[in-house]
Amino acid sequence: MARTKVATRDWTRRRTAKRDRLERVRPFVSGRVLDAGRMGAALEALLRPGDRVALEGDNQKQADFLAEALAGCDPQAVHDLHLLISSISLKEHLDVFERGVARRLDFAYAGPQSVRMAQLLADGKVEVGAIHTYVELYARMFVDLIPNVALLCAEQADRDGNLFTGPGTEDTPTIAEAVAFSDGVTVVQVNEIVDEVPRVDIPGDWVDLIVRSPRPFALEPLFTRDPRHIGQVEILMAMMTLRGIYERHGVTTLNHGIGYDTAAIELLLPTYGEELGLRGKICRHWALNPHPTLIPAIESGWVESVHCFGGEPGTERYVAARPDVFFTGRDGSLRSNRVLCQLAGQYAVDLFIGSSLQIDGSANSSTVTEGRLSGFGGAPNMGHDPHGRRHPSAAWLSLLTGQAPALRGRKLVAQITQTFRSGGDPAFVETLDAVPVGKDASMPIPPIMIYGDDVSHVVTEEGVAYLYKASSLAERREAVAAVAGATAIGQEIDERRVGELRRDGLVALPEDLKVDVRRAKRSLLAARSVEDLVAWSGGLYDPPARFRTW
Amino acid sequence: MTVTEWESLLDRTSFIELDARERAKALLDEGTADELCGPFDRIESPWLEPQGVVPQADDGVVVVKGLLDGRRVVVIGIEQAFQGGGIGEVSGAKIAAALSLAARDSRAGTPTAAVLLLETGGVRLQEANLGLATVAEVCAAVLELRALQPVVGVIAGALGCFGGVSIAAGLCTTLIMTAESRLGLDGPEVIESEAGIAEFDASDHPLIWSIDGGTQRVRTGLADALVLDDVTALRSAVAGAVRQGVPAEHRSRRIGELRARLEAVDPAHPPAPSELAAVWGRPAQSEGDQG
Repeated sequence: MARTKVATRDWTRRRTAKRDRLERVRPFVSGRVLDAGRMGAALEALLRPGDRVALEGDNQKQADFLAEALAGCDPQAVHDLHLLISSISLKEHLDVFERGVARRLDFAYAGPQSVRMAQLLADGKVEVGAIHTYVELYARMFVDLIPNVALLCAEQADRDGNLFTGPGTEDTPTIAEAVAFSDGVTVVQVNEIVDEVPRVDIPGDWVDLIVRSPRPFALEPLFTRDPRHIGQVEILMAMMTLRGIYERHGVTTLNHGIGYDTAAIELLLPTYGEELGLRGKICRHWALNPHPTLIPAIESGWVESVHCFGGEPGTERYVAARPDVFFTGRDGSLRSNRVLCQLAGQYAVDLFIGSSLQIDGSANSSTVTEGRLSGFGGAPNMGHDPHGRRHPSAAWLSLLTGQAPALRGRKLVAQITQTFRSGGDPAFVETLDAVPVGKDASMPIPPIMIYGDDVSHVVTEEGVAYLYKASSLAERREAVAAVAGATAIGQEIDERRVGELRRDGLVALPEDLKVDVRRAKRSLLAARSVEDLVAWSGGLYDPPARFRTW
Repeated sequence: MTVTEWESLLDRTSFIELDARERAKALLDEGTADELCGPFDRIESPWLEPQGVVPQADDGVVVVKGLLDGRRVVVIGIEQAFQGGGIGEVSGAKIAAALSLAARDSRAGTPTAAVLLLETGGVRLQEANLGLATVAEVCAAVLELRALQPVVGVIAGALGCFGGVSIAAGLCTTLIMTAESRLGLDGPEVIESEAGIAEFDASDHPLIWSIDGGTQRVRTGLADALVLDDVTALRSAVAGAVRQGVPAEHRSRRIGELRARLEAVDPAHPPAPSELAAVWGRPAQSEGDQG
């Protein structure tokens, strides 16, 4: 009996469905090219209620034309979609839910739309499956969240569907692979259709349909920090980071988060770092986007290699002129890849350092603040100690942990912040805002960005806390308090105890690190303005208009 | 700009990175600087504390007397880090008094020129009318001194010089700017909020600098010299302007020329910023004019 049932099962339903979908869009297609003027109708023909759709909203580039067309679909025809969006950046990403076209959502990050996201959730307009980190969400596209349709974006396509993404390859090959090899349908908006693409980032046989967008896709310069806004406190913290972490542990492979704190570190390498004789000893290999503030370190010979998650507007010509440092294609331009760079940031680098908005007494940290559901993005992928790592390095071994024979090294995970943020809000708090926000959103656990037991170092303007040396949770809390300044957390510890922690090496103040506080001035920065960065690049960096002051 | 000019940026000591006191001293001959009415005299604004603003003991204006290439000058520097360089009752009075004292000394046989470091958004909002009144006094004092000795204005930073103080800038004997600096009566944000984003988009940097930027102001003759943000370059430009002395006729007195310029522009069909120099009959200067 059972045998008969097995024999009648159809093993090619997805393939049949794909053929059927492509048949239905045939009136809108010539070759593989969809009619941009009838994009909404084409999507209504292509999609079925309840479909799982991966919509390319990356950290940087956005399939904005397709998002707009999707948001404009008739909810009678297309409804109850399940969207997978790594970064919810556009208004249209949430319009889709407001209009009833989609109902369920799995995502990783909602930075620019975080307030509206929290509101839609409270109004019951969107059902959130889970909030992921980037690699988690991509991974699930190959396991239990396989999409039926992908709406992607690229710079150029040829008539065979071969795609050229330019420097911002980001998430496209990963999503395309998940869909193309599971008999889903890939639809790609491109800025241009050309006879021959400069290089093939995604082969044409992974691509079903292309459409020429009436305007180039949106791209944000998220990783550009104007050195003009770096102040003395950031410089002091950067000096302590260089001496107290990079030099002490011999950090050669690393990732930097976004922010003025880490930009300051990048800009001190050619000056303060050079003075300390650290060139060649630290900061040689990076998993990092092409940060304009890294240009001076690259130009002065600090940097051997950089692999990028995505591109950065304005750095195209510079990167193309430095192929020994950056990964570039046969066409000469940058090739980035978010999932691979996230993996590199997870397993191949010894240190992650990032700014935090809030840190609690146990060093748990979060960028979620009240009324905002911002998600995680990629920081937790890099901001943890991966237990799957086996290759040793001096830095990793310098944080040796475990009982023999199960000894292992540890990833350096550093959090850097001033004790009070701008506006006078304390960075160190009793309870993270993430706790009530998680409760309000009915999350089973609070959305903590980086867990306290993964944090090895905390840097503030007061000093460096070496949390990995703490032998108990109580000691970890004391080390955090010792650098938490005048915040309520900082007031939990007295001077005598701080003295003991300094003696035991759990805490270092500037004088313990031989950092001269008086030298923490802007004159120590290798570049003090965007013009200086252009100068360092020999005129190869073309800053986006908003960063120009000339 | 060419590649080599960009590279020369790195060898410089930035002028605008210095605070107002350091900037004033950087212009003067070594060992000659003498600050008047300094922070230890504690002449600060009485209007800020009641409005929840911490006052500054020099009210954000630094007055330093000394020698520049051996000539007597008073350098008056506005500190842009305090209240965006906004001028209040006390800081304005300090500027006006310093200029008047220089005029008195000049009349008494001790010629004293003035250098104004104008990094300011204009009148301090907290001191509205008092600030406006004091800017009028500053303008009167510039007119008094410039008849006797040159008054040299310097705008070096991206904050620029706006509001009432931009009128004082327009009265200067010589006005020196950098490519990053800006000069205008109403700031971009003010224009946008008053007249709408279609009139002026305050987030459009290329647009702003194409109108208010140092390069355009010099190209169209509303400022005199475009200099690199570098202590040595600015010092030599200022010294040169002081040396030139008082011109036969100041720019602000050339009424006929200015009126002709207004008539040459049709507000309904304004020329593009790049065309303005030609419309006004001034040949566009080359980009290499960087001091």
